[in-house]
Amino acid sequence: MATHHVNAVLPDEPEKATLEGKNKILGFWLFLGGETVLFGSLFATFIALRDQTNGGPTSQQLFDMPLVALATLLLLTSSLTSVFAVLALHKKDLKKMQAWMTVTVILGLGFLALEIYEFMHYVHMGHKMTSGAFGSAFYTLVGFHGAHVAFGILWILTVQLQTVKKGLTVVTAPKFYVASLYWHFIDVVWVFIFTVVYLMGMIGGKVG
Amino acid sequence: MGAHVHDEPRKPKVKHDGAKKHVIAFIASLVLTALAFAAVAFEAIPVGFTVPFIVGLAFVQALFQLFFWMHMDQKGHEFARISIFAGLTFILIAIIVFVFWVWW
Amino acid sequence: MSAHASHAPKRSGIADWLTTVDHKKIGILYLIAGGIFFLAGGLEALLIRLQLMYPELQVVGAKTFNELITMHGTTMIFLAAMPVIFALMNAIVPLQIGARDVAFPFVNALGFWLFFFGGVLINTSWFLGGAPDAGWTSYATLALNQYSGFGIDFYVLGLQIAGLGTLIGGINFLVTIINMRAPGMTFMRMPLFTWASFVTSGLILFAFPAITVGLVLLMFDRLFGAAFFNPDAGGNVVIWQHLFWIFGHPEVYILILPAFGIISEVVSTFSRKRLFGYSSMVFATALIGFLGFMVWAHHMFTTGMGPIANTLFGLATMLIAVPTGIKIFNWLLTMWGGQIRFPTANLFAVGFIPTFTIGGMTGVMLAVPPADYQYHDSYFVVAHFHYVIVGGLVFGLFAGLYYWWPKMFGKMLNETLGKWNFWTFFIGFHLTFFPQHFLGLMGMPRRVFTYLAGQGLELGNFISTIGVFGMTIGTILFLVNAYVSAKSSKRAPADPWDGRTLEWSIPSPPPEYNFAQTPLVRGLDALWVEKMAGNKGMTYAEPLGSIHMPNGSFLPFIMSLGLFIAGYGFMYHNYVVVGIGMVITFGCMLMRSLKDDPGYHIEPDEIEEKGVKA
Repeated sequence: MATHHVNAVLPDEPEKATLEGKNKILGFWLFLGGETVLFGSLFATFIALRDQTNGGPTSQQLFDMPLVALATLLLLTSSLTSVFAVLALHKKDLKKMQAWMTVTVILGLGFLALEIYEFMHYVHMGHKMTSGAFGSAFYTLVGFHGAHVAFGILWILTVQLQTVKKGLTVVTAPKFYVASLYWHFIDVVWVFIFTVVYLMGMIGGKVG
Repeated sequence: MGAHVHDEPRKPKVKHDGAKKHVIAFIASLVLTALAFAAVAFEAIPVGFTVPFIVGLAFVQALFQLFFWMHMDQKGHEFARISIFAGLTFILIAIIVFVFWVWW
Repeated sequence: MSAHASHAPKRSGIADWLTTVDHKKIGILYLIAGGIFFLAGGLEALLIRLQLMYPELQVVGAKTFNELITMHGTTMIFLAAMPVIFALMNAIVPLQIGARDVAFPFVNALGFWLFFFGGVLINTSWFLGGAPDAGWTSYATLALNQYSGFGIDFYVLGLQIAGLGTLIGGINFLVTIINMRAPGMTFMRMPLFTWASFVTSGLILFAFPAITVGLVLLMFDRLFGAAFFNPDAGGNVVIWQHLFWIFGHPEVYILILPAFGIISEVVSTFSRKRLFGYSSMVFATALIGFLGFMVWAHHMFTTGMGPIANTLFGLATMLIAVPTGIKIFNWLLTMWGGQIRFPTANLFAVGFIPTFTIGGMTGVMLAVPPADYQYHDSYFVVAHFHYVIVGGLVFGLFAGLYYWWPKMFGKMLNETLGKWNFWTFFIGFHLTFFPQHFLGLMGMPRRVFTYLAGQGLELGNFISTIGVFGMTIGTILFLVNAYVSAKSSKRAPADPWDGRTLEWSIPSPPPEYNFAQTPLVRGLDALWVEKMAGNKGMTYAEPLGSIHMPNGSFLPFIMSLGLFIAGYGFMYHNYVVVGIGMVITFGCMLMRSLKDDPGYHIEPDEIEEKGVKA
């Protein structure tokens, strides 16, 4: 039913109003449980290999704390703005929701740009996918996260565009809700990446 | 699919908290992040204790975000909790094994 | 509700099968595809045993032998056993919970096509420069470029695609079982097969990401020069073993739990008794699922993890024997005092119990680390896992197929042929694998393509090969049976076995909407409750009304085809082809997102025309 629903008749929590919507949200949470294992496996691999630089630069030589702090701030803020978007969704305020989602996408793009810059910088310093086990593990873990960010941006844009045409309905609302869940999850993963990859990488040198 | 409004009795309406709770979670996340950065940058705590400290902070922050921003504290999220915590349990065991029993 | 019927454009013939989102048809697709791969894997097994029939034979030679054992294991686990399980889950679970459909019909179809194309991709390796040859476990460094051929790339990419299909299939069933149950169908009233499917889907959800990561790392090593498993560049081969078995051990329970579920249904129906200890069965299923994640390192006792790890993982492994024992005793006590009948389904179920118990006991033997140092990589291990996977899972699947065939196809399987099928397969199985225990204890290693005369290995190997012919005949008899049943004009009744659960309350095969009216469940063994209350059928939870159905779609097929194409692009380092494949896949995803499926409605008068007793 692509008919436009007038906002006034939209139920209270439009994302959960239909069985399809409920299924979608539950299915997505389960998927996130699987993603937890996926990223966990990558973390486990990274932890086991993080000192195997194979003669390449170590994490202490590579990592630039202000850059990581800035990336963290961008992603954390984008997570907050996507919460604001969901609050607007619950108030059935389509305009505000679109605005907050746009801010989220822009912050995500900023994060992605920083990451690409960072990777290019590292490759320049001799830290590559092929330079050793540390390099492989680093680019795979952080790159997987970056790919999730990129996919998240495209996803949110797709949902935003179709909502322009279809309006806020019980069909589009779950899509927004699920996309925002995905975005938060990416942020949660990043919390562990900056802790395990970057901060612990900085400590390594001080201990040894 | 508007025709398929589920007609089970509506649950008591979930009270939608305003932006305040989320801003608090945001500030808490910022503070926790800053603490972790500070612990590493200024060696504010004994070096041997730094790793458990910052990993602990990461978990606290993750829980904040899961429960506040992703609404895992609300009703109807029982299976969401099971899913995330089961995945986390299984993979933490694996990570512990990777830390201790991947020999060289 | 819309006032008038909006009919979907009906597709017919092959187009219908390529676009279907009906879980019953997808179940049949899974069964056919899984069956074909099962025959391929069986043929590989036959060649393996022919090569080992006498000492120093040269039937296929060493290189082909390595390819055969690798493809046999990979095919049987990922492309035969899993899909046939999914076939039964698709065909039966929604019916058992009183649902009209699964939660995500589109995703369900996508899961099938991803599995199918992944499986085809792996098997094309035979014609494109040689099959994978590093064993189904594909351990690094053996599986790296320096030591293995092009075939491993097919393994790595095909399993990623097929694994993705399995993962989304698992999520679909979890959501279906959580959200789509009929009124009154509480968790503790669910039939045990549904429970087993639920736990199995949970295991799929948490296990498959680990193998996906392992495969991605292996792919990066092989295709892009990464160094995860390359010790020269700081890599570590044990990481592959861990990731593989973090997936691989739960996979064993992913396979066996549905068989437990099937046996529970069959034994209970054919004893005309409620399942003994229902709650303890549910508890045992969940506990096995949980413990299944804590034991993976028992495949790696000889890696040198040290006594602490070996002890912990050995103990955790032995713990699993407790819930499994609960199940065995519950089946026996279900039969105790029951009015037992022995159609083929129950023969397989009763044959399962002692066979699986033997496999379980050798499992406990293998869980003792010091003893495992002796058994490791010997034919004892081969005997053990074939007792649990063939003697457990395959017997269970045969039981399930004979039991639910009328519900899936609307025709009965022939019982005489069925009994021949059972006895040839059962005797052939034990002839094949029982001697292998002793071959292993006498020191015959796994995965060797031949052995010398005069070491006492001749007789065991000879008997073992003879046994394979029994299983081959059994399988052929099953195919004949399926053919005969398809040709026969006799329709199966709705409830041929005097069944106890909801699927027997609707016609065989069920109409596309399954239940004209959603049933009201009033107890465990929902249909039996009504029968005992003297009712003719189920009580309904709703009046007859318009039923909404999803439209079929070509997108799942095309989306999977895109990944299939991209897979070849990766293997041949042709990034134009990768791009084309990815554009197809992501384009389909975009189309799916942008274009809402309005579905169509089936109106009450159409339902009554089809002869449903309202």
